[in-house]
Amino acid sequence: MTAYETVIGLETHIQLNTLTKIFCACKADSWEDAPNSNICPVCTGLPGVLPVLNERVVEKAVLLAEAMHAEVQPISYFDRKNYFYPDLPKGFQISQFDVPVALGGYLELPIPAAADPEGKGYVTRVRIHKLHIEEDAGKTKNDGNERQVDFNRCGVPLVEMVTEPDLRTADEAAQYLIRLRQLLRWIGISEADMEKGNLRCDANVSIRPVGATHLNEKTEIKNVNSIDSVREAIRKEVERQTREVEEGNSIKAWTLEWDQDAGVLRKMRSKETEADYRYFREPDLLPLHISEEWKTAILADFPERPLERKARFMQDYNLPEYDADILTLERALSDYFEATVKTYGGDSKKVSNWLMNDVLRMINEDHLDPAAMRLTPQYLAELLKLVDAGTINITTGKALLQQVQESGKAPMQLVEEQGLAQVSDDAAIRAVCEQIIAASPDEVAAYRGGKDSLMGWFVGQVMREMRGKADAKLAKEVLVELLK
Amino acid sequence: MELCDLSAVEVRDLLLEKKVSAVEVLDACQARIDAVDGRPGTLEPGGETKEDAQRVHAFITRTPELARAQAEAVDKQIAAGEDSGPLAGIPFTVKDIFCVKDTPSTAASRILANFNAPYTATAVERLQAAGALMLGKVNLDEFTYGSSSESSAFQPSPRNPWDTTRVPGGSSGGSAASVAAGEAFLSLGTDTAGSIRQPAAFCGVVGLKPTYGRVSRYGLIAFGSSLDCPGPLARNAKDAALMLQAMAGPDPRDATAATLDVPDYLAALEKDIKGKRIGLSPDYFQITFPQADGAYSQQPVPEEMRAAVLHAADIYRALGAEIVEDVPMPNTRYGIPVYFVISRVEAASNLHRYDGVKYGYRTQQAVGELKDLYRKSRGEGFGLQPKLRILMGMYVSAAQYSEQYYRRALRVRTLIRRDFEEAFDPQGKYRLDALLTSTTPTSAFPIQDVYGDSVLMQYADQLTVPANHAGVPGISFPAGFGADGLPIGLQLLGPDYSEATLLQLTHAYEQASAGAEWRKKRPAVLEVR
Ligand SMILES: [Zn+2]
Repeated sequence: MTAYETVIGLETHIQLNTLTKIFCACKADSWEDAPNSNICPVCTGLPGVLPVLNERVVEKAVLLAEAMHAEVQPISYFDRKNYFYPDLPKGFQISQFDVPVALGGYLELPIPAAADPEGKGYVTRVRIHKLHIEEDAGKTKNDGNERQVDFNRCGVPLVEMVTEPDLRTADEAAQYLIRLRQLLRWIGISEADMEKGNLRCDANVSIRPVGATHLNEKTEIKNVNSIDSVREAIRKEVERQTREVEEGNSIKAWTLEWDQDAGVLRKMRSKETEADYRYFREPDLLPLHISEEWKTAILADFPERPLERKARFMQDYNLPEYDADILTLERALSDYFEATVKTYGGDSKKVSNWLMNDVLRMINEDHLDPAAMRLTPQYLAELLKLVDAGTINITTGKALLQQVQESGKAPMQLVEEQGLAQVSDDAAIRAVCEQIIAASPDEVAAYRGGKDSLMGWFVGQVMREMRGKADAKLAKEVLVELLK
Repeated sequence: MELCDLSAVEVRDLLLEKKVSAVEVLDACQARIDAVDGRPGTLEPGGETKEDAQRVHAFITRTPELARAQAEAVDKQIAAGEDSGPLAGIPFTVKDIFCVKDTPSTAASRILANFNAPYTATAVERLQAAGALMLGKVNLDEFTYGSSSESSAFQPSPRNPWDTTRVPGGSSGGSAASVAAGEAFLSLGTDTAGSIRQPAAFCGVVGLKPTYGRVSRYGLIAFGSSLDCPGPLARNAKDAALMLQAMAGPDPRDATAATLDVPDYLAALEKDIKGKRIGLSPDYFQITFPQADGAYSQQPVPEEMRAAVLHAADIYRALGAEIVEDVPMPNTRYGIPVYFVISRVEAASNLHRYDGVKYGYRTQQAVGELKDLYRKSRGEGFGLQPKLRILMGMYVSAAQYSEQYYRRALRVRTLIRRDFEEAFDPQGKYRLDALLTSTTPTSAFPIQDVYGDSVLMQYADQLTVPANHAGVPGISFPAGFGADGLPIGLQLLGPDYSEATLLQLTHAYEQASAGAEWRKKRPAVLEVR
């Protein structure tokens, strides 16, 4: 029996998060707005109107090109893609065709052990074919006999990014989208939410015998609106193609539609019936010139990419890969971590632990933005130093996190106001220990009879008596001595 | 001579001297329209009457209340000594291919007959801001597709004021006719292959096609987007300069509008033309037709056209200009074939939006699926000319033919541009300031003579279309009459943004020929009254 490998290329449509649309001044984001509330003569294609390019769109496209290591073209062109559809008011889409804004590039894709059939994890490189800028179309929905059109989305800026056929499993495709989503948010050009349609994906899928280098006829899967669905749809299509080939049938170049509710693929059309879009240069827009100066200005604040930062965190801060991965999921969190480490100056693993165990929980529970927290990296570092110096114990420290976040006061101020400083006075602790021992004859007898585990109970009693401020280590030493 | 037969500049001076009021000027124009225009074009014209045959029919829509209100406002401003704008109180017409807010903007097509634009085109907005009074929207070939104005869905179509059995030219036929008949001082037209210059020549007025991008296209219902130029039609160079001044300049709503500063066109008029180099080209003294077998046949322009060009050259020479003969413009012959391809590709795409879904005409027949709605709405809404352009445009831009036609046409367009660059190159062999030609190969042809033969109709534009391919400016001005009693127009073509020079040369010709006998002739429609 022949073994097959899967060959996948992805076409993603990335909705850019500009304030206004690509060719007019209408608000771009219409999420939860009433239909046809963000429209004007330009984006609804009235007679006589002309498009004027929003430069923010170009800037965001250049940022994405840089993030993908793609080559920004000094001159690119807009073209008309002609077809009829009610939600395409001009009867053509302004897009780019033969000379797009950027060419080439790649994404290094770490595949985690869980997505590796051999269970080890590996890194694969996905090459990018091209990136082009285009306008989105509106939305059509059928309501009984009526077809309703919402033009709000007309003219919302998109970048279409196409990979080479470099992905080999459905899991790799899913990882690509996970990493792309992370990157888009990281560089701040898209909300990248597949459920909201900010990030859309079509998958080109074919199979071939393992070891072959040619490309077989592929099918295109459209209308998949979550990463899990992409994975599932590709798996199903690979199963279907394998079955067809094993039965001696050939694969036809179909376009397939993913039915989310039924979890099945349906044939939309065969390639032969595809329209000729009669592309030609958009005469209403000038060629897009991106000078070195402009590019340099756009990229002046270009951030370190997430995977690069992850590698650096492992290297510079000696973090385990697991920690580095979590801390670089979002750029703001990774900035927060690094700022804390720098102010703190101590063990970066300790910062990581506090962040991942406690601060991240606060962030997730209260939907906080790390960059805007009142518990600033400076306060967190101060708090860690207080713990290190023994001024407060860990329990007090952890309780203080929430208090700093709520009050916005410096940790030291809260410690002073509430008298939270740890008692490390041997005499004071000894007095409380003696008092506890005197009041607990049964427990003392049991402990002396060999029940060592009761030590924890004694320490707890002392801490409770001293409202948590006792130096637990010292209390234990005194107790051990007194109970001897 | 009535008030409405003066020039815009003369009327402006009378207004500022408070010798007449804007309302009086407006009334004079309205009275002239009432007298000579006849009924406006409509979709259901019925049979043509005897009276129809003697009228101009420039208008589709008149906007008298709007003009009246504007005129009264101008009079108030003038009375109060306020700045009323450089065109204050000057009535003008607008080719009905421009959108004007709350006004029918039909493109002379059934498919847009019920379309009221929700916004105003930049060029119109600027004329109104300068104080000009819009009299209404004038007729044209459907979507500007033609050279006679006969293809309008709104009939009767315009007639030539000098001889109402003749066409006024096109596609800005209503514009040229309205200015020639004294209905308006100025008209806003568009020129995609000669659509300002050719009707200006046929109707004996001045028509200027500016450099591509000099006047914003925002609000102009597009034909060939890379060729379309809004521009003035006027009685003389000075009026055209005044009008261009008000319209030209950058527009944030048109990315292709030039961001260059606008010179003072009126000031340029009075400059001496001594030393200007004016070229004559053998390629503009003949018309070249391609034949079915691919060979070209040539035909010289009529002798009286040739004589008019040479006579003008003599006048310029006498004024101190240098005449440079035998300037080669070898790619002129490809102008029409290339235009056939490029303009149709753009037109077909530009017409996609008229689908019966959002606005405009929708079929009254029962429709099944969506495509049926498209087919019936477009089939009934478009006239013959748009349909021909859609078919041709779809064909030559199809994936399998695009290289052979569309892309090839773009390369030839570059060659046509190169002809002009070489002729105008200040370091080159010819160093021309302008090229002098006849505007058209013939004078105005009889109504229905050429209509229906879209290839022959197209060749009426052979001498004007190269400027559209090259993007350079061109002006047509009256230069006498032919043996048939119809106006002859001459054309000056110049390098990019040389409108000031073209206006200056035209003005110089006008001054030099001011006393000529032919200048006293009046359009026939004014005589029969
Ligand atoms: Zn808009």
